[in-house]
Amino acid sequence: MSDPGAALELNGIRKAFGPVTALDGARLTIRPGELHALLGENGAGKSTLVAIAAGLLRADAGEVRRDGRLLPAADARAARRAGIALLPQHDLLVEAATVADNLALLDPAAPLIESAGARRARVLRLEGRLGLELGPPGARVGELPVGVRQRIAVAAVLQSDPGVLVLDEPTAVLSPQETSALFRSLRARVATGRAVLLITHRLAEVFEGANRLTLLSRGRTLLEAEVSSTTPEAVGALLLGGAEVSSRSRALRPEPSDGERLPALAVEDLLPAGATGPPAFFSVPAGTALTLLAVDGNGADLLGSAIAGVRPARGRIRLAGRPVPPGDPRAFRAAGGAFIPADRRAEGLVPGLSLAENLFLRRPPGRFVIDRAALAAAADERLRRFGVRARGPGAEAGELSGGNQQKLLLARELEPLPRLLVAVHPTRGLDLASSSDVRARLLDAARAGAGVLVATADPEEALELGAPIRVVYRGALSPPLAATTTLAELGLRMAGLEP
Amino acid sequence: MRPAAVAAVAAGTLAAAALLVLAAGASPADAFVALLRGAVGSSAALGETLARSTGLVLTALGAVVAFRAGVLNIGLEGQFLAGAAAAAAAGPLFPDAPLAARAAVLLAAPLAGALQAAPAAWLAERRQVPAVLSTILLNLVAAAGVTWLVRGPLRDPSGDYPQSRALADAALLPPLAGGSRATAAILLALLLAAAGAFLLARTPLGLALRAVGEAPRAARAAGLPDVGLRVGAFLSSGALAGLAGGLEVLAVTGRLYDPFTAGVGYTGITAALLGGMSTIGGAASALLFAALGAGSSALQRDAGVPSSLASIVPALAVLALLLARGGRRER
Repeated sequence: MSDPGAALELNGIRKAFGPVTALDGARLTIRPGELHALLGENGAGKSTLVAIAAGLLRADAGEVRRDGRLLPAADARAARRAGIALLPQHDLLVEAATVADNLALLDPAAPLIESAGARRARVLRLEGRLGLELGPPGARVGELPVGVRQRIAVAAVLQSDPGVLVLDEPTAVLSPQETSALFRSLRARVATGRAVLLITHRLAEVFEGANRLTLLSRGRTLLEAEVSSTTPEAVGALLLGGAEVSSRSRALRPEPSDGERLPALAVEDLLPAGATGPPAFFSVPAGTALTLLAVDGNGADLLGSAIAGVRPARGRIRLAGRPVPPGDPRAFRAAGGAFIPADRRAEGLVPGLSLAENLFLRRPPGRFVIDRAALAAAADERLRRFGVRARGPGAEAGELSGGNQQKLLLARELEPLPRLLVAVHPTRGLDLASSSDVRARLLDAARAGAGVLVATADPEEALELGAPIRVVYRGALSPPLAATTTLAELGLRMAGLEP
Repeated sequence: MRPAAVAAVAAGTLAAAALLVLAAGASPADAFVALLRGAVGSSAALGETLARSTGLVLTALGAVVAFRAGVLNIGLEGQFLAGAAAAAAAGPLFPDAPLAARAAVLLAAPLAGALQAAPAAWLAERRQVPAVLSTILLNLVAAAGVTWLVRGPLRDPSGDYPQSRALADAALLPPLAGGSRATAAILLALLLAAAGAFLLARTPLGLALRAVGEAPRAARAAGLPDVGLRVGAFLSSGALAGLAGGLEVLAVTGRLYDPFTAGVGYTGITAALLGGMSTIGGAASALLFAALGAGSSALQRDAGVPSSLASIVPALAVLALLLARGGRRER
């Protein structure tokens, strides 16, 4: 089982968080001189696995070996001494401090007291050694572009010259140019016999830069392969759950009603704050649905929340012809908009209020005093119609399961029928039954005449919705694709490859 | 909170207080009896408790209104001072018209409290300055303002001490019963607390305030006017504290002097915390704290325990509550 030549080897790793099994016997083997890609769907356990390798989490079972020697469990210092360095998905730089100070802070060999000149010299030394441009040593990190921040974070972990460098989705925020610069420096690194492990969602990067790959799915290792021995199509199909999907029954398809109408939503030149890529232009006719499909971090969700007004943006948004200023949820609502946010617990429901209060947050029955009997009766009826399972309208929204919370949100947002419903990741974290119920209600709304815009990262969901699909990659929208497109093609487009 | 937890908090507080009394060399039983007698043992004692509770009930209510809307207004102390200063400035303008003087105080004091809160509300919404920070700083401004006012523009020219001119005796609120210090001010405070409870629990406005306080992003996404609600709660909170300051002048002191308060704004926040951020709970805690304050002089006189010990008890109670509620850290 054990690979004597491995720089880093994880075997039989299990880890559960409460009732949720994150890792179920996963294995990962990285050899010296290798740029290794770790792939997997959201929640496959990638970040958990590397956190265990870096000693940040304790595995329930399994072993971590570095150059064949067993590492003590959950000992981050031992892992660092053994030359395993983890660059987390969100860098841990101090925004208010300068580049020089951040690098000094993260240098394990830095003396306790060091002159400002010596700290500046370290920046220049690192730039020379690593070939990375790190920005002015005196600049505050918070004011630098994300690409530069990323390079500073990389340089910071490389100071100790780790034998195994682990990068958790380092390219999610980088431009294509910045990404290729990063890959150049990573390849130079593995050429010297050190190893690099890269977590990524982007198949294009894997097939351009990596030597080997490991694919995780639901906490297990599904594939370990030389990159040269496989194809993006094969890996993409595995990532999406294989061929079983295509045989699954196609969902109901909303029939666009005939006749010329004002589109429920028209978006021109829209650029959400924090989004990369070109401004978006698209529209959703009334009585139809449109699916924006993208891997997280490519901006489909940003477009959804920008249209709903909860994320600042620039550009023009019209609901049924009526202009809605960006960044104003009230104007969006007043124009007939409804919104199912990605984070239903923080942006959708008020967990500490009752189901009835959540349903009638804006206009509870009764003018100056809430008519409690009418509120309970109306809520009870609405909960029953939308199939929310709860002990009654007086239960707290925070008590409900995720599926029931989402149904509660739908019960609020779909009545009265909005002109436009924006739903971001509407079935994320829901089980199969709840998911199909939620999708059916979204389609019902479109059939009843609303425009429905769905942003999702799940290509199966996009296909099941049966509406036209536009894949978003780094902020750019693909042309509309029919819902008969193959999963493989969607997967390639999501990974930034033209089929 | 479950009744068992409440009982545990009460028992823990009492036990800690008893230990402190023992350390002071007195009998906890004697101290308890003396405290009780001093707080509610006679109509004069009860009147003292009620008179002391007015400011606490209103500042606790102000804290509840703000905190429930998600506004951390720690500036009730300064807003109380602003209200008292406005009362001391407006009241003496009508030396011969007691009703006009009262009306002027009841209008000017809440307005001044709201104005004292306004800069912090503006900074919070427009400049993302944390209200905790700005209101604490504004408390210092208000305290310095009182110092300046009683030595400058409001100084009573006929007196030796730096204090403001007194309101006409006829303008001051009369005692509810002979020999008692309680006035109609406490009734007004309790009435407002009841109205606040009703507003929060039973009206659309109260529902919107609670939603904004508990899940600001969800409330905003749902189309509630989040900024207006928070600013409204902030200013109302300041107005309540300002009214408390005005009533202190109108019912108790008759004038402004320096220092004017021994932390009633902060104690009001403590009372609101102990009352679980509910209007009724806050008012009940305020009455409890006022009773402790009124009983503390008897504590010294009859049981030989330093009266400052009584002022430790509210802090002990809140600490015990936080301990009981905090639980263990996750993971």
